[in-house]
Amino acid sequence: MYRKQRIATVSVVMIIIVAALAAAETTRKEMHFKVGRRANISIVNVYGPISVKPGIGKHVSVTATSYSGKVEIDQSKRGNRVAVVSHLLQGADSDSGRVDYEVVVPMDANVTLHTATGPLHIEKLHGDLLLEGSTANVDVRDVSAGRVHVKTLNGPVTLTNVNDAYVEITSVSGDVSLHQVNGASVHVNSSSGKIHYDGEFGEGGQYSLTSHSGDIEAIAPSYASIEVVARSVQGRVDNDFPLQPEHTSFVTRSGSAFAGTVGQAASSVNLLSFSGKIHLKKREQ
Amino acid sequence: MTCEEFERVLPELGNDHSIEQDEHLKSCSACSELVSDLSEISKQGRLLQACEEPSPWVWNSIEVALRQEGLIREQPGNLLVHPPRLSWKLRWLVPAAAASLIFFGVLLHERGGIPQHQAKQESPAGVVTADLQTEGMPSEDMQLLNSVAARTPSMRDAYEQNLRAVNAYIHDAEQSANNDPNDEVAQQYLRNAYEQKAMVYEMALDRSLQ
Repeated sequence: MYRKQRIATVSVVMIIIVAALAAAETTRKEMHFKVGRRANISIVNVYGPISVKPGIGKHVSVTATSYSGKVEIDQSKRGNRVAVVSHLLQGADSDSGRVDYEVVVPMDANVTLHTATGPLHIEKLHGDLLLEGSTANVDVRDVSAGRVHVKTLNGPVTLTNVNDAYVEITSVSGDVSLHQVNGASVHVNSSSGKIHYDGEFGEGGQYSLTSHSGDIEAIAPSYASIEVVARSVQGRVDNDFPLQPEHTSFVTRSGSAFAGTVGQAASSVNLLSFSGKIHLKKREQ
Repeated sequence: MTCEEFERVLPELGNDHSIEQDEHLKSCSACSELVSDLSEISKQGRLLQACEEPSPWVWNSIEVALRQEGLIREQPGNLLVHPPRLSWKLRWLVPAAAASLIFFGVLLHERGGIPQHQAKQESPAGVVTADLQTEGMPSEDMQLLNSVAARTPSMRDAYEQNLRAVNAYIHDAEQSANNDPNDEVAQQYLRNAYEQKAMVYEMALDRSLQ
């Protein structure tokens, strides 16, 4: 009986020690900067998430939580430019080098995020956004009136409710998903990742979704106003819209290519894949 | 001896080389650099393994707690808990402590979300195997992968897979453009494919993430 109690006591003590060790390694650092109009904010974090949200006024606040002594947070402010960098020390890996960032910036700030693993999240901003993450999951939502430039290797990219923007996404093998994304220019370039677009193809913009082997699915309402060209060298191409035929530089064979206009053809839409399937779908009411 | 023959015997290569292998290494800078890179990666891998050992402070803290509980007594000149020095009655504490540490280690590890394949990549043997799997890749891609592996071993697989995807894209796009040089779409495939490759290189060499 006594032995059981002793085992229980030791277990509890060891649990407390390990928990204390973990807590002792966790460090929370808060940084505050006063900036002007359209400030440039840059966060570099090799391992760990970065989340950026809008705040009131011309203040930038950065909260960085690290979990070991193998990473330091470097900060600098020069003019209207703020830079925060996770500085990995010798022996840091994806676990010990991880830092979680929560960032609040003015709505008109230009934000640049660099990471290897991410994930990256930005919402409700109007400035130019550049997000780079090798394997990072990228999520951008409710942004407008700026440039949205995303680069990933195999990290999936999701853009939701992006308007009046110049969008450029390059991902080698990450799936790209665009929901209600409209702008003067929307370009997606993928190798093997799938591309999914569900929106209006609005604002008289130029939309280009291209892939090597990834499938492309575009869903638009019946009232869409588009001039569309779709072609896959080896994959199947399907279309749900009644198109007004149009002259193209290539032969439009049923099942492998189509071209034509819907409505007033205000926006230009190119759906191109080498071996992926392409399907232009009409949204069900 | 050709480079191909040398790469075939590379996995079994130890510190001692045959005369033939030595001669090849002296005459071929590419293989010599490859061996040198692999040695460096192997060395770094061993360092990483050493880093995962619990620090003496952890053992010391356990000892302090056990002493406070009265489960072990003061031993002159010995501040750390070393299993062989414990009496036989207390030896059960060693596996119990180890089990607890492993349990919480796993919990902490899961919180960090390290990919399963990382352990494999960090082992020197894993790197050698992975290098051999890159047969047929352009030498500049191999150099890039070695550079990524030396810096962030966990990212090597991702870069290799993505380089393969981009190279396949370039290959198909080039063929398509050659078949019909006037085809605008084929030219666009080619531009996009090279843009992707440029991006992979740019990301791999990004100094801000080094």
